Amino acid sequence: MSVDANVTQKATILHISDLSVNRAGNEVIKDVDLLIKEGEFVGIVGPNGGGKTTLILTILGILKPHKGSVVVTQNQSLQGSGRIQVGWVPQAATNIPDHLRITVKEFIRLGLLNLRNCILPLSKSNKVKVDKIIETVGLTSYANTRLTRLSGGQRQRAAIGKALASNSDLLLMDEPMVGVDMESRKSILALLSKLCQEQNKTIVMISHDLASIRKTANRMVYLENTIWFDGVSSDFPELSTLIDLRENNQLESHSANINRSSKLADDEDKMLQTSEKGGQ
Amino acid sequence: MVFGELLLDLLGPILESIAPHLPGEWFPRFFSRAYLQRSLIAALVVSMVAGFLGSFLLIRNLALVGDGLAHVSYGAIGIFIVIGIIDPLDGAYVVCVIAAILIDLAQRYGWLTGDTAIAIISTGMLGLGLVLFKLYGGTSLVTIDTYLWADLITMSDELYRRIVFISVICYLGLLLLYRSLLAICIDPVAARIQGIPVEVISLCWSILVGLVVVSMVQIVGALLVTALLVTPAAMAQITSRSFFSAVVLSQIYGILTILLGLYYSAELGTGTGSMIALVSAVLFIIVVISKSLVKLLSTTNQNTS
Repeated sequence: MSVDANVTQKATILHISDLSVNRAGNEVIKDVDLLIKEGEFVGIVGPNGGGKTTLILTILGILKPHKGSVVVTQNQSLQGSGRIQVGWVPQAATNIPDHLRITVKEFIRLGLLNLRNCILPLSKSNKVKVDKIIETVGLTSYANTRLTRLSGGQRQRAAIGKALASNSDLLLMDEPMVGVDMESRKSILALLSKLCQEQNKTIVMISHDLASIRKTANRMVYLENTIWFDGVSSDFPELSTLIDLRENNQLESHSANINRSSKLADDEDKMLQTSEKGGQ
Repeated sequence: MVFGELLLDLLGPILESIAPHLPGEWFPRFFSRAYLQRSLIAALVVSMVAGFLGSFLLIRNLALVGDGLAHVSYGAIGIFIVIGIIDPLDGAYVVCVIAAILIDLAQRYGWLTGDTAIAIISTGMLGLGLVLFKLYGGTSLVTIDTYLWADLITMSDELYRRIVFISVICYLGLLLLYRSLLAICIDPVAARIQGIPVEVISLCWSILVGLVVVSMVQIVGALLVTALLVTPAAMAQITSRSFFSAVVLSQIYGILTILLGLYYSAELGTGTGSMIALVSAVLFIIVVISKSLVKLLSTTNQNTS
């Protein structure tokens, strides 16, 4: 379970240690340790209810840990901006009602706001910055188009642009590929891996599309209540191996729950199906 | 209360010079007579701030909040006429702001969903006001019915200054909050993560909504606030591409509604509030029809070419 050699040289951007989070009385994630460095592209996979979204929400500070800690290292330009800033691409980032008239440029500009500048007029340098971001995400010719007129893939690019505008080096994404066709998925993943390589952004992405994420991310994490696999993508085992591993472990710790396991197996079946579709 | 004087000094001569070129027998008097100039300026300023505010109300799906708060202010006016310690309108401003804050909190913390909060708070206040008025206000010389549909002709100088002052302050407030309000409307959770002080901004927003609605009650009357708050914003939403252009257009439609409404009410001798409401609805229908015509024409053009 080693990490890329060139990555180990870099600074830590996210340090999660011994993290446990309760939601509605259940310990959804427990004893999670995760150290993520700058420039990494980490794919998080696991069954529904396995705690992926809980983990992201805890990193964002929306959920409070029951035990353990989450430390996000701030880059210099953001220090003192009021709070730790993390770029977030939520699952339904662009799921806005059709009657809402907002252009791509207006939408991405909203990502610039923080505690310090939220009532100030937009500065010239920020306008230029947004234009550059629009170019990066490949929407230059759509800058003044209504957001609701874009395709699923283009909307997702806009959502990524909004997250990039926050200037944060750490981008968290929750299922950004839902509602995006195969071709667009490939190009969005290419865009993301370019962001990691060229702009030294760090991406942590939850995905159900195992096949694509495995090809693009340089590190994979399998999360189901706790982390069962964490390592370079090429070492990521077959899901059946992971399930065996997990079930043996659970038996050993006398916490096996037959109902739960079968439900999880169902979820993994679904996951495999999606990944098979992805491979076509 | 300085803005009222300033606007009157600034716009008065301009309005007077336009007056001779305007159609109609009675309508030009809104431009030439000093006391009617005040009514006109107040109505225009309120229509601009209402259009601005309305654009945000529509994207938050809160079109009915204006009507609800107008009910609240009507009830509050009744209560304060009965109590008689402070001016009923001052009382209405305070009560309306509190009601706006309560509605926002009720929705944000999920005590009540969507329009339910508006419906319960507004009708409750209206009921309270009317009951108190009937029980104890029977001998009062002031009649509460004038607040249901206002008539601009009777605007006092003091009322003019107060409405313009509050409207200008609210307009400036909206300009400051513009970007963060839009961010919160689109994604409140993302806004919070970005560090935008969502609670503070929402509080300011509620205060603005309360203030603007009470000002509107005095321009068009409690029953008719939607005419200036929602209709121009809805027309703007249909005819614009960006949020910015929706905000600008909404104010232009508001001004157009006021001018046409005053023209027809003056010429036909109807009340101003009701005519403004009628005009805004007719304008809306015209905009919808012409928009669909344009759409139809552009698709047929594409098909033939």
